[in-house]
Amino acid sequence: MMESSAILLTFTLWVYVAGMAGALLFQRAERLANAVGFGLAALGGACGVVFSVSSLAAGQGMTITPVTLWSGPIPGVRFVVEADALSCFFVLVVSLVGLAISVFSLGYVRTYYGRKNVGVMACVFNALLLVTTLVFIAGNLWMFLIAWELMALLAYGMVSFEHEDRETRQAGVLFFIMSHLDAACVLLGFLVLAQAAGGFSFASFRGIGASLSPQQRDVAFVLFVFGFGIKAGIVPLHIWLPVAHPVAPSNISALMSGVLIKTGIYGLVRVCFEFLGPPPMWWGASLLAVGTVSAVLGVLYALMEHDLKRLLAYHSIENIGIILMGLGASLMFLHTGHAVLASLALIAGLYHTINHATFKALLFLGAGAVLHATHTRNMEEMGGLAKRMRWTALFFLVGAVAISALPPLNGFVSEWLTYQSLLHGFGTTTSLVRLMFPLGGAMLALTGALAAACFVKAFGITFLAQPRSDHARDAHEASLPMLIGQGVLTAACVFLGLFPTVFLKLLDPITLQLTGHQLSQQLTMANGLVLSGVAAQGGTVSTLGIMLMFGCLLPVPLALWAVFARKARTRIAPTWDCGQRALTPHMEYTATGFSKPLRMIFKALFRPRREVQREYDFSPYFATTLRFESHMEEVFLTRIYRPVNYGLLRLSRRLRALQAGSLQAYLIYIFVTLVALLLFAL
Amino acid sequence: MFVQDTLLNRLKRGCETMAYPKGAAPALPDRHGGALRVDAARCDAKCGACVTVCPTEAIARPAGKPVALDLGRCIFCAECVTVCPTKAITRTGDHRMAVRRREDLVLGDASKEQVRLAQALDEKLRRLFGRSLRLRQVSAAGCNACEADTNVLGTIGWDLGRFGIQFVASPRHADGLLITGPVSKNMELALKKTYAAVPDPKIVIAVGACAIAGGPFIGHPQHHNGTSALLPVDLYIPGCPPHPLTILDGLLRLLGRLDEPTGIR
Repeated sequence: MMESSAILLTFTLWVYVAGMAGALLFQRAERLANAVGFGLAALGGACGVVFSVSSLAAGQGMTITPVTLWSGPIPGVRFVVEADALSCFFVLVVSLVGLAISVFSLGYVRTYYGRKNVGVMACVFNALLLVTTLVFIAGNLWMFLIAWELMALLAYGMVSFEHEDRETRQAGVLFFIMSHLDAACVLLGFLVLAQAAGGFSFASFRGIGASLSPQQRDVAFVLFVFGFGIKAGIVPLHIWLPVAHPVAPSNISALMSGVLIKTGIYGLVRVCFEFLGPPPMWWGASLLAVGTVSAVLGVLYALMEHDLKRLLAYHSIENIGIILMGLGASLMFLHTGHAVLASLALIAGLYHTINHATFKALLFLGAGAVLHATHTRNMEEMGGLAKRMRWTALFFLVGAVAISALPPLNGFVSEWLTYQSLLHGFGTTTSLVRLMFPLGGAMLALTGALAAACFVKAFGITFLAQPRSDHARDAHEASLPMLIGQGVLTAACVFLGLFPTVFLKLLDPITLQLTGHQLSQQLTMANGLVLSGVAAQGGTVSTLGIMLMFGCLLPVPLALWAVFARKARTRIAPTWDCGQRALTPHMEYTATGFSKPLRMIFKALFRPRREVQREYDFSPYFATTLRFESHMEEVFLTRIYRPVNYGLLRLSRRLRALQAGSLQAYLIYIFVTLVALLLFAL
Repeated sequence: MFVQDTLLNRLKRGCETMAYPKGAAPALPDRHGGALRVDAARCDAKCGACVTVCPTEAIARPAGKPVALDLGRCIFCAECVTVCPTKAITRTGDHRMAVRRREDLVLGDASKEQVRLAQALDEKLRRLFGRSLRLRQVSAAGCNACEADTNVLGTIGWDLGRFGIQFVASPRHADGLLITGPVSKNMELALKKTYAAVPDPKIVIAVGACAIAGGPFIGHPQHHNGTSALLPVDLYIPGCPPHPLTILDGLLRLLGRLDEPTGIR
């Protein structure tokens, strides 16, 4: 079993390498490069899915024991890979989403034919899948950091793919800077561990927290939260995310939002549950608090967006927040010694990880198809696309229902598990910290409601009513590969929603490895038809049952209609349009208008500002020109990042005095340094 | 505090809704003489003073027949009452003048000295609307006088809601239309669409001289001479504007909510 898994994983990695090489080789022939590059990426993704599902189903703790890939020329530098259950789970995430996006890309990148080098794009895409997989299966620090850094660099390359745009270039630079901040934090954190472990292999890091002083552990924890938090996009370290994700090509956006930010989650789970040892209360509490804030703020900012891809990017922040709520609660339960609840919360977090990966990638692919058809990301210029892009609209609707945590789809299942763990949390401790659990639950409920409102807006404004622009009027359905790519993810969303008990079995080895418990038996009732909330007083839910109920209830109104309504006389009259001559797109609800009530309720946060300039000849009611502008303050940018930025610049200006440009001064610096070092050595 | 002050003030003032229709109806103002009455027997066959003085041509004098006064067109200026030498046209001081048929508003013939008041809706419609009637108001180029007097019915003094009658914001929620104004060409499409949007069965109420016959705008090329040109009207409430009491009386009469006998008095 282990042998075949190893072969399969090796094969997966080599397929990605082949995809890179093939795409580069055929870059002169765009169609061939596309077919070879993304075809091989899809094959690699499929192999990865088979590998990870089979390993997880086999239920072993360690599928692949540490293997040295390559011993570098520098002594001590070795690149080691290993795959335990946690790695396999995240490989499943990247492979599944990678598979769907590759198929989608086969159709999507045709839009770049003759404009951009598709070969390079396919090559970088394969490379991204490769290094992301390597991040998840890294067995020592060298492998991890190299893969981590390559991932950031390749992603930067993809963010700046359409570098002709000034906006894109700036977004790329911001992404670059933030990526390196996070790499620096992660590196420092790992160095604290490496110092104590005396080595760089992850095997030597396991449980190393026990040999660290509490202060060292806390420092390491904070560094990791910053490092992995930037990657994951938690508030207030999120500012790069809504800037960088939208400007990348849509297939890359889907990969970044679906998978790349999950590397931050992977890092946090790996470090907090395995390396740093038994967590103090405040770790879990702070993760829960950060998660709650990210979830609420993420969805609130998403509501205000009318750029479809930025809206989705903000939802990534929200969902990362929900995942962190699960992880934070899990750490708190570990501290209080409730291992079963810790497992439940961890399962909730991980389940939401794969759920978010599927539905967010699905939504980004949908946005890509819409962008492809309308050449705009601005929702105010869309509308009426449901008639023109039937399948895309259907897939987007499924994704929207899933992300809004509505039954019976997958978002509901994982948020339900999160609720269960949070609701149980109140009784686990007597300190005031327990108030965080119901508070977190309430905020999660608020988040869910706001997300639903946001996707009513996103779907309604984009797909319903009449087209608001010529672009939208001339929109066309996406090509077949694009639809298949979206269909794969839609099927995944439906499967994860309807059959959670089947999927939960795959998470058993992870919780066994990290918390020492297997929960799928306890979570499953009635032969896998019903999901239960572990404890006796916990709730139960069955998405399958809800679906069946929908199915059974559907005939009731139909029967009522058949009996009563058909007897009544039917009169066909035009839709009520307030007596206007005809309905025009000008009368439609706009995205900005739809979100206005919430903008007013949360105006302390958004700080909306609007300007109306009216020019008129004789009466203000008959304006000749009207100019309307509305702005919202980007609070994090103006209140946190910009002051820090200015502070740094001011400091560097002061330091410039040292760099006087005079040779004598430099000689003196060297001399003083030398003397100081000599004194120090004495 | 504003809320507290308002509530206290309301409590102090007590119930201000009028006793009508259980108690007596409030008196009409002095200047409002109520419905007109035409006693054709008194009319001087050679006299035509009222015909020339009427600003809306509401009074006709067919050859060999007594004077005919169309209360639907009348704006109640009472010039005819003043000029009539034989006191054939008089003011009754009666607020009741809503009718179901257009011809019931024409006074003059023997036994047609006064308006023939509206009959209630048939049993089926009364079962549907009798205790809950939702109306959509359409101002089809009205001057806002009829609208204002309709609006008065919503105040605490009149409290139309106690009869289950309410004005709603969309015809899709309504049981009928209450139309004011002479129906200009510009409002024709809107009125037709509004009517089409009201679910069946539905009723139409024309309020004011304009909505009944075009009022002072009668014969104008940009107007339709009232609602009847476009829609079937179920209740005519004359006046320029009608007193709120007249409108309320008409609505209650239509719903069969007044105990007194209807028809010719």
